[in-house]
Amino acid sequence: MKAGIVLVVLGVVLLLAGSYLGLFVAPAEQYMGDVQRIMYVHVPTAWNWMLVVITTFVSAILFLFTANAKYDARVEAGLEVSTLLAFLLCCQGSIWAKPTWGVWWDWDPRLTSVAVLLVAFVGILALRQFVDDPRRRAVWSSVATIIAAVDLPIVYFSVKWWNSLHQQQSTPQTVSSQFHLPLRLNAFGVLCLSFGFVVLRTIVAARRLEQEMAAPPIAGEAGELA
Amino acid sequence: MLAAALKKELLLQWRSRSQMMAVFVFGASSLLLFSFAIGPNAEMLRTFSAGFLWLGLLLSSTLTLSESFHAEMENRALEGLLLLPSDPRALYYGKAIANWLQLTVLGVALVPVMVVLYDAGTLQLLKLLLIIALGTAGLSAPGTLYAAMTAQVRAKQTLLPLLLFPLIVPALLASVKATSFVILGDPMQQSRSWIALLGAFDLIYWSLCGLLYGRVVEE
Amino acid sequence: MSEGVVVGGWGYVIAAYTVTALGFLIYGIMLFTRLRETKRHD
Repeated sequence: MKAGIVLVVLGVVLLLAGSYLGLFVAPAEQYMGDVQRIMYVHVPTAWNWMLVVITTFVSAILFLFTANAKYDARVEAGLEVSTLLAFLLCCQGSIWAKPTWGVWWDWDPRLTSVAVLLVAFVGILALRQFVDDPRRRAVWSSVATIIAAVDLPIVYFSVKWWNSLHQQQSTPQTVSSQFHLPLRLNAFGVLCLSFGFVVLRTIVAARRLEQEMAAPPIAGEAGELA
Repeated sequence: MLAAALKKELLLQWRSRSQMMAVFVFGASSLLLFSFAIGPNAEMLRTFSAGFLWLGLLLSSTLTLSESFHAEMENRALEGLLLLPSDPRALYYGKAIANWLQLTVLGVALVPVMVVLYDAGTLQLLKLLLIIALGTAGLSAPGTLYAAMTAQVRAKQTLLPLLLFPLIVPALLASVKATSFVILGDPMQQSRSWIALLGAFDLIYWSLCGLLYGRVVEE
Repeated sequence: MSEGVVVGGWGYVIAAYTVTALGFLIYGIMLFTRLRETKRHD
């Protein structure tokens, strides 16, 4: 718990520092002007979204193999945090797209894949709401998470291909200027913040599960969901 | 084992064939509604006909897929089946194949509707059949798995499409693209790659879902 | 396609950063609320 709070605070500090630099100190981009500054948050969010998705996927697999409830708690936390990050990504990407390409959405394969996975994870979170048996809920979420995660590269590839015939504009340029410091600071900032959130949310999930299992013991030990 | 499961599924489907008729009408009327949404612009309707066909199929699949577990849920037959010394995977594949066949038949039945409403005919019927078969296979594999899950849950009507739709995006894209090429012409032979993508998607999901099914229905 | 420099756009930058900050903030608040909720019953 302490670790979680430390991570969150650290994340906030790093983000404030990185964003300050990115907004006020870094020079404006050559062609994109000030709008490019959005990349100083967009890219870090994107990297960390991918990271949280991967850790959630791994937790899901670990749960199916070990039936240990702690992994289910991590899956629940990972689903929520990656959904938050995905939502932010779509907003940032959309806001970036308007001045750059003139439209709010242009089916960029990366952003579209994020949107698809966002919907998929929201679906899994919804599924969790409607399943009362904790063991079943855990197994089903893990199965659904694995299926969705496996789908992600397929979705990306197919959208990329599908859009390649129409795409006139180039994909969003990552920061090409020399000023990488704000990017790195923000990257670590979002990293600490996201994983801080995951740690804390895991604790919430674990506590809730304990409370669920506490009144008449259903499956014996509170730590085992087999 | 698989043959027995499949036979049972097909028998069940045959018994409820009047329901299939209703689903077909649903599919056909959604194709009709799409044309109202676009307007009587023959050119545009023809251009988007592939998309409409597959959207109609996708929407209809939510009906057929959830129905496929209706029998099991009625008399708690699912638990009974699990007590039999049989591999749950055989049950899964039996049902998935039956669902697939059902959707293929539905797809084929909707083609004449598409031809008439959107002036979207083609002579490459075998290729079209292949695309429909591969595309519906892509819907059926994850669809059967999720139907098994949601059949036992509240709010199943909303959960099944919510879970299924984001997942089958690649299959949808590929099916629509390939069908489009078949209807509108394919000067650069691109449909082959989309069909390959469909094949890969089917391969991956028919194995993955079969693998995971046992965990989904275990007690 | 080369229209030269995209002028201005600070509004978009602020919007993006604000959305991000709000997103994290609101989630953080929700999280801490839930942490305290579950603690009370322990």
